[in-house]
Amino acid sequence: MPGLRRLYAPQRVAVRTDPRGAPATVEGVAVEAVREEWLVEDRWWTPQPLRRHYFEVATADGRALTVFRTARAQRWYRQRA
Amino acid sequence: MEIACVIDKRLAIPPRPDHAGGPWSGRADLRDPVAAAEATESMVRALEALGAGVESERPGEAFFALDGLCGLYGGSPAGVLAAARGALGEEKAIATGPTRFAAFLAAGAWPRPVPMAALRTRLGGEREAEGLVEARERLGVETVAAFVRLGTDQVADRFGPRGREALRLCRGEEEPLRPRTPHEELSEEIELPEGTAGRQLDRALELLVDRLLAAPRRRGRTLLGLRLGARLAAGGSWSVEQGLGRPSAAPRVLRNVLAPRLEELPGPATTLRLLAVGLGPPAGDQLELAVGGGEPRRRRLGAAVREVRAAQGAEALLKILPVDAASRVPERWAMLTPFPEL
Repeated sequence: MPGLRRLYAPQRVAVRTDPRGAPATVEGVAVEAVREEWLVEDRWWTPQPLRRHYFEVATADGRALTVFRTARAQRWYRQRA
Repeated sequence: MEIACVIDKRLAIPPRPDHAGGPWSGRADLRDPVAAAEATESMVRALEALGAGVESERPGEAFFALDGLCGLYGGSPAGVLAAARGALGEEKAIATGPTRFAAFLAAGAWPRPVPMAALRTRLGGEREAEGLVEARERLGVETVAAFVRLGTDQVADRFGPRGREALRLCRGEEEPLRPRTPHEELSEEIELPEGTAGRQLDRALELLVDRLLAAPRRRGRTLLGLRLGARLAAGGSWSVEQGLGRPSAAPRVLRNVLAPRLEELPGPATTLRLLAVGLGPPAGDQLELAVGGGEPRRRRLGAAVREVRAAQGAEALLKILPVDAASRVPERWAMLTPFPEL
């Protein structure tokens, strides 16, 4: 629909991971701590299921960010919510 | 057009001994601003009673056009001036000129050639104006005539926008007079017991606001601005003007804007006075979203939406539309949609 815009749409972000697969840096800034992580599985009954691994992290410059990795493409996104 | 300038000599600052020149009218009497404002108001009222449209932006000073009045007072400017002198009394200087500045110079009996110091109270910001005058004096530009001879380009280069403003003034290029709308005085005063401070002062202000709004002379009209004043126990007075942003007759609005100003009171006061500086349309017409139920509110909101869109573009105003608040995926919670036309 023209004029409609998503709020909280995910943005691509560069993330390096540690051996466990958790974020070690987000856009070049070191991750101090992973505060929480969770999995979201949705629309599994459709041809385009959604599976995301979310991490809430605290970065070395003092920000709290929420990032997720898609299961299928293994891409990282940042999400403000 | 012939313009008359009236200067209340009691409120004028006398010329500095080291400067040739006349009095600088229009500087507030810092020790007793309430008395200065009252004296100016009575001067303006006396002129309005003669039928003059009066502009008065500084204490102790007033300007009015003679043209429309000549027919009422013997057909000549001299008749108008005689009537004005009769109404104003001895301690007012009055003279005429083709512009405000010319009339001011004549009323203050400034010498010829006119020294640059005459510009001090004639430009917008007083501190900047003083700096400008001193800079010119340092550069050897001592008279208004020498300043005008510099020409526009040189003045703009050396003195910037304030210099151009001064040049326009000296050349007689002035904005037309802006006479105030004559209005009856609406004011209330309350005597304070000795040692009133803090919460008691707030309470006194509350009473004053209620009395002002209850005055029958207000006839339901809103207020545009207020002057809060006090006579000080140690002598002298204090006064401050407060605009309201939009016309209002809501006691809460008035109290909220005035209460912080009370903190500026320099010492214990014996009386507190509140004066309506201007009266607006009756209360029913004022812009208040809560007044008049849903329909006026919707109409005003619609006007505001159109105004924002016209200024900032169609995409400038959006609303958040909840879509699926229970979703586990944040981007499905809500959408941004164009704000609907109302």
